[in-house]
Parts: sequence; structure tokens; C-alpha cells
Amino acid sequence: MYLLEVENLTKRFGGLTAVNNVSFHIDEGEVVGLIGPNGAGKTTLFHLMSGFLKPDSGTVKFKGENIVGLAPHKIVNKGIARTHQIVRPFRHLPVIANVMVSLKSPRGNKKIEWIKTIERKALDMLENVGLTELMLEPAENVGHGDLKRLEMARALALEPDLLLLDEPFGGLNPLETDFLTKSIQRIHLDHPTRGIVIVEHKLYALMKIVKRVIVLHEGEKIAEGKPEEIAKNKKVMEVYMGKAM
Amino acid sequence: MVTTYLRRAYTSFATHIYDVPPRRLAFMFLLLFLAFPATNPPQYILLILVIVNMMAIFAASWDLLVGRTGQMSLGHALFFGIGAYTTALLNVFTDLPLWATIPIGMLLSFVTAVAVGYVTLRVKGPYLALVSLAFPIILIGAIFYFKDVTGGERGISGLPRFFPYLGLYEQRLAEFYFSLILLLVSAVILYKIAYSHTGIVMISILDDEVASKGCGINVTKYKVMALAISSIFASLAGGVYVHILQSVSVGTLSVDLSFMAVIMTIFGGLGTIYGPLAGAFVIQLLDRYVLNDLIVVPSTWRLLIYIIVVIILVIKWPRGIARFVTDQLGDISKAREIEERGSHIWKKYKKKKK
Repeated sequence: MYLLEVENLTKRFGGLTAVNNVSFHIDEGEVVGLIGPNGAGKTTLFHLMSGFLKPDSGTVKFKGENIVGLAPHKIVNKGIARTHQIVRPFRHLPVIANVMVSLKSPRGNKKIEWIKTIERKALDMLENVGLTELMLEPAENVGHGDLKRLEMARALALEPDLLLLDEPFGGLNPLETDFLTKSIQRIHLDHPTRGIVIVEHKLYALMKIVKRVIVLHEGEKIAEGKPEEIAKNKKVMEVYMGKAM
Repeated sequence: MVTTYLRRAYTSFATHIYDVPPRRLAFMFLLLFLAFPATNPPQYILLILVIVNMMAIFAASWDLLVGRTGQMSLGHALFFGIGAYTTALLNVFTDLPLWATIPIGMLLSFVTAVAVGYVTLRVKGPYLALVSLAFPIILIGAIFYFKDVTGGERGISGLPRFFPYLGLYEQRLAEFYFSLILLLVSAVILYKIAYSHTGIVMISILDDEVASKGCGINVTKYKVMALAISSIFASLAGGVYVHILQSVSVGTLSVDLSFMAVIMTIFGGLGTIYGPLAGAFVIQLLDRYVLNDLIVVPSTWRLLIYIIVVIILVIKWPRGIARFVTDQLGDISKAREIEERGSHIWKKYKKKKK
């Protein structure tokens, strides 16, 4: 049984088919990259997997159970946490309280060790991504790079079995990218059974982390394989750089 | 050890960040109120103050729903009216004492809030405001239809008072202290909820509902919870209000009353819980004393005056009068002190970690 199994997933917006008959699977402990040019349907696929959108057809099975049609918060409590492409902080709340929202959800609350308070656990999560210095700052005063990490901390607080990262490196400078790469790798080592899916345009950073890459183009899956194979794949090169004359 | 430090630091900072109420100032006001009857005020002034206290509870309960959870409701008078009519009807048609009928009204309003909330709170923003506006109007329609039971436009009068065994002036005085205690208890409960972990989730819904869902929060549940809690206090205010006035009319369900909650809360400071109390005192005293007794302004003009007051306020002090005063009195209010204490604890924590 796979951790996540996507079968023949299709989503149309009016005349546009954003995701067309896509199937793939993710194993426990696997780090998978999801790439493709702009408008390829990557974020739509994430929305379908996390329940924010409902597919027109196809199934998403998480641990063998069909999760299509469940409300987003129910899917989160089953163990799929995600970050958003555009940061969505709770701007009135201090950074630590942003994480505490996750810990107040049924799953987050269950995962707090009995010896810890909710604040203590939240601080641990901030430590994971290196945000302890800013913990009491209201999120509206925090910079974009730190908000990206805050999104990660919020998702990690749920101790998900499957982590969906939507462009975690978007808008980050090389230094921040490097730091985040390392923390993703560390998260992977700390929780060897956790599956991670990363949507990213910065292929250089992505290829260092992932074991397998899925390429989408105009809503269809055009290639899947190891990073080295994908880099040499003709179809992928065509999509990214245009056809050879 | 570290955990205790952390918890204390967090609470200090959190209360600072979400505007700590000027506790000393509030305490001074409370003492002032407790001592007020010593000046031997006329009965009607005491009556006005009792009503003001009830309006303050009403405004604070609206603030928990709108200022904290961000669910725009323009029909909060629904719960005030349910509280008022339940206790009035039960007093007329049964032998229950008012100490029982007011809690029954609160319970009924809680049930209504859960039922109404599950239906309407799925709608967002201006649509929710419009939908919520309709409910008290529907109830007014029902009251007019069942004229024989509810008294229609004339309402019901001759309801019992709280302390009938006392003399006339002593009754008012007792009611004044009773309403003050009710206000204090309600405000403290609402404040504790707003500044608790549940309050954090409520603010997260106000800030970003989608992200809140993404954090695994059952958004509808929390919204209904906020509505239910606020409805309990609104109906408490309504129930006490009719026994003070000894009569009930459809005015307790009117759109004017719903908008009064909006005006009082925005005047005092949205999302602070203590702001609406200040707003209620200023606006209601203006309404019931200054524009009624000192300068006589016909009631049709008053709403215009309040709206002008609120517009000026929103331009000059958009965060409300209570926060403005707190900022001005920064040195004597507790906010500054707490900030310093919080950062002190935080430094200690960092040292310990090293």
C-alpha cells in the first residue's frame, strides 16, 4: 500500500483542463519533486490533494482510504499538511501563536507530548526552522523569508505523515534557500517515514533534496523518474526550453 | 522550569501584543462606580446606569463575534430580543421566578445560535451581514403575527423587578450593584475567552480562514462557538434589561439596537472586549442622558449624530477610543510595565538555554 495514491485525477475550470488524467503514487519516507512550467497545474494538484478543490473525476487515496470530497481540515487531521505558495500568516498573531493554531487542531493537540505545554511545543517547532528569535513578533512585522519558514513550522506542528510544500523557496535569497534546504533535509532524516512532496521552480535547490521527480505540462504528467534522468529527458527539455529546430 | 518561564513570558507578551487593557484604569473606574451612589444620585440616573451596564454586556458580546472571530453580524439584537421575550413570556404565562426565566432565555438563545450559526456562518463577509440582518426582522414578524400571546406592538408590561421586597430607591440601588456585578463577571469571562488559546484560533479565523483550515481547524465549529458564547451574554443583557424596565417591546429586536452594538464597539475599539465597555458608556450616556435631558435632540436625529461621531473617530483614532486612551496613559497603564517584564523573562530564558 502506498502512502498516497493519485488515480486518473481530472479538474476542469470551465473550458480549461487544469489537471488532466494524472496518476502517481508516493511511498512512505519518499521525497518527491513536482515540477513543470507556469500553469502546468502543480498548485491545482496540491489543492486537489489537500481538499481545497474537488476533482471532476479520479481518486486520491491516502493510506488506502479515499479522501476525495472530505473537508480540508479533516484531511489535515488525517495527516496531510501543506504550505501555501503565497504566504498566509495570521498577521495579528505573534509568530509563536501562529504555530499554536496548528497545535489547537485535533491532530496537533494529540501529538503534544504529555510533558509539554502547547507553548513549549510551539517553540520546539520554531526551533526546527530557526525562528525562535522572532517568536513574539506579530506576524505582520515579519519578513517574507521568515514567513515562508513560519508556514513550514505551522505544517510541521501537525506532525503530518505527508508534507506538501508549495514553492518553499519562492522569493528567498540564496542564503535563505540554503538554510531551508538543510532544514527540509533534517526534517526528512528526523522522520524517516514521512513523505514529502515539493513543488518548486528553483530546480537547482530542488534536485539536491528529492529522490524522484514528476513533471507536469499543461495538466498532464509527461515524465517521472530520478533527477538525473529527468535532466536528460528530451520531452522535459522541450517543455522548458522549446523544441529544437 | 524553562516551561514556566516560557509560559509567563508568552502570556505577558501576548497580552501586550493584543492590547492589554489598562487594568489599573479599569480598576479605578470600577471603584468610581462602586462609590457613585454615595453622591445620592436621583433614581433616573441610576436607571440610566443600569441600562448602560446591560448595553455594555451586549456590545462586548458582539465584539467577541465580530472583532475577534471576524464574522460580521448586523442582527445581534436577535439574541437580545430572544432573551427579553423568553423571560417576559415565561413570567406572564408561568409561575417561574425571574431568576429561572432569564437563564432559560440564555439557554434558548444558545440553541438558536447553534441552529442559526450552522446555517448562516458558511456565508462570508457582506453576505453574512445581510443574512444576519434578516433574522431579528423575521422574529418581529412572528411577534406581530401572534399578537394575542406577545402583545404585538404594545408589547408586554408589568413584569416583576429583581428586588421587590425593598423600598423604591433601594431597589434601584440594588439593581445598580447587581448589574455592575453582572457586567464585571461577563466582561471577565468574555475577556478570558478572547485571550485564551481558543481566542487565538478565533483571531486566526479573522485573519485568514483558508490558512486556518490548512492548520486543521474546524472553522465552522469555532465560528458557531463564538456565536453561541456571544449569544448567551447578549440574551443575558436582554433578559435583565426587560426586568429593569418592567416591560418588553419589539424595540429589543430592532435594527437600531443591532446597529447600536456596532456603533458602541467601533467607538470603543474593535476586538478588544474592554473597548466596547468604554464605547457603551460614552455612547449610551450620550444617548440616554446628554441628548435626552441636557440638550434635547429628537431621537430621529440621534443616529445621525452617532454616525458622525463614529466617522470622526474612525478618521482620527481608527483603533478606538479605549486604545487611544491606553496609548496616551502609557505610563500609568499596565501595558508598558508588562512589556518590560516580558522581555526580562525572555532574556532570562535565553541565558538559561545557553
